[in-house]
Amino acid sequence: MTSPRKPTVQANDVFRQQLLGAIPRLRRYARSLVFDAAAADDLVQTTLERALAHWHQFDQRRDLLVWVLSIAHNAHMDQRRRDSRVTVVDPERASAEQDSLAPDPGVDVGLRIDLINALTRLSVEQREPLLLVSVEQLTYAECAEVLRIPVGTVMSRVSRARAALRQWLDGSARPAAGARGLRRVV
Amino acid sequence: MDVQRPDDELISAWLDGETEGHDSERVQDWLRDHPEDAARVRLWAADRDALRARLASVLDEPVPDKLTQTVWRRGGRFASGWRGPWLQVAMAAGLLVAGALIGATWVRGMPPDLSWTAAPRWTQRAAFAHAVYAPEVRHPVEVSVREGDAVQQREQEQHLSRWLTRRLSVPVKLFDLRDQGFELVGGRLLPDGGGPSAQLMYQDSAGQRVTIYLRKADRDAPAAFRYERQGDLGLFYWVEGSSGFALVGPQSRERLLALAQSIYQQDQQSTAAPTR
Repeated sequence: MTSPRKPTVQANDVFRQQLLGAIPRLRRYARSLVFDAAAADDLVQTTLERALAHWHQFDQRRDLLVWVLSIAHNAHMDQRRRDSRVTVVDPERASAEQDSLAPDPGVDVGLRIDLINALTRLSVEQREPLLLVSVEQLTYAECAEVLRIPVGTVMSRVSRARAALRQWLDGSARPAAGARGLRRVV
Repeated sequence: MDVQRPDDELISAWLDGETEGHDSERVQDWLRDHPEDAARVRLWAADRDALRARLASVLDEPVPDKLTQTVWRRGGRFASGWRGPWLQVAMAAGLLVAGALIGATWVRGMPPDLSWTAAPRWTQRAAFAHAVYAPEVRHPVEVSVREGDAVQQREQEQHLSRWLTRRLSVPVKLFDLRDQGFELVGGRLLPDGGGPSAQLMYQDSAGQRVTIYLRKADRDAPAAFRYERQGDLGLFYWVEGSSGFALVGPQSRERLLALAQSIYQQDQQSTAAPTR
């Protein structure tokens, strides 16, 4: 493992500034993974610590966000392995927590709870690629890099996640996939 | 016209802007000729937009000190040299980097020709009308509902609503946004693409304005809430019944969404039970 720069013990300030700039998006991604705001920030904290510890492995020509998202993904998987409590998120609780996050929720037209509920019901293998592509707006190649899976796997998981999310959102009233009109989604 | 049906993986990849050339054409041709599949893809796109909108507020939250300190901590201790103004300069620089990252990702993540994700032309007119009239000090509206006493104001409201309803040939309701801190200023008639449109203007106690742009819808199809930024302005737009709505303002997306939801709900209620 050679680095273009001689590794030093301490991360340099440019790197720290870049890392600081990545925090808002790291927080958003963490929140969409674990839902609970405090637990999400713990995940961000772990991610930042790991990034600083391995900062010399980061190639400045690459996208820092993709790199730190992959660290967040690994940290999250480690956490899930360690702590089964995190894997079983009660959808009701999660949506209540998610509600408490919104600074100005306004009048609910119905989607918010449905959407977050549906999201919690996806397997993490489907949820992560869907969020990375849809919300973080990564390319499939970047998403594959973050999750360390082939691009073809990203493509099929995103597609299946979309279909599964739709089934949850359509609810028990329409269990079968068939001819549907455009439904209001706010 | 014997096109083989593209599978969902390919269609989904197309939605993400991950297909090119022949594959893109195949998907586009298929969706054009198969409205049921096209409707399904519209729902996927709507879900994607809803996810983005739902999680967007996290970006606006202040970063907890604990996380900032983690980044600047050296050798397990917080470096004193980075406290005070230097820390703030560094944070500002960090924000710039974040902005650049977000910008770059957005441009790259833009899907190719997606007629339903690109804002229709009328929303641009809505944004334009806001930009022209919202800064007006003396003549922000054509019909003001804030002059005279309470009785006169009520008469002006009724006049405005009746006049715009007649001209647009769709019911124009004056939404009550006082719960959200916005008072109605008044409204005006505007030229739209093929006919008239209306603009209702609201103002909060700080003098910040939002406008609602109303028009007769091209198609009588309920459509998803859509969010779009045009320069400094954000807009939510949607179609309900025979009316197209666009809410325009410089406020945050969350704030606009709350207003849009309130308008949507009032519109639903008045359609269900016409009381006035």
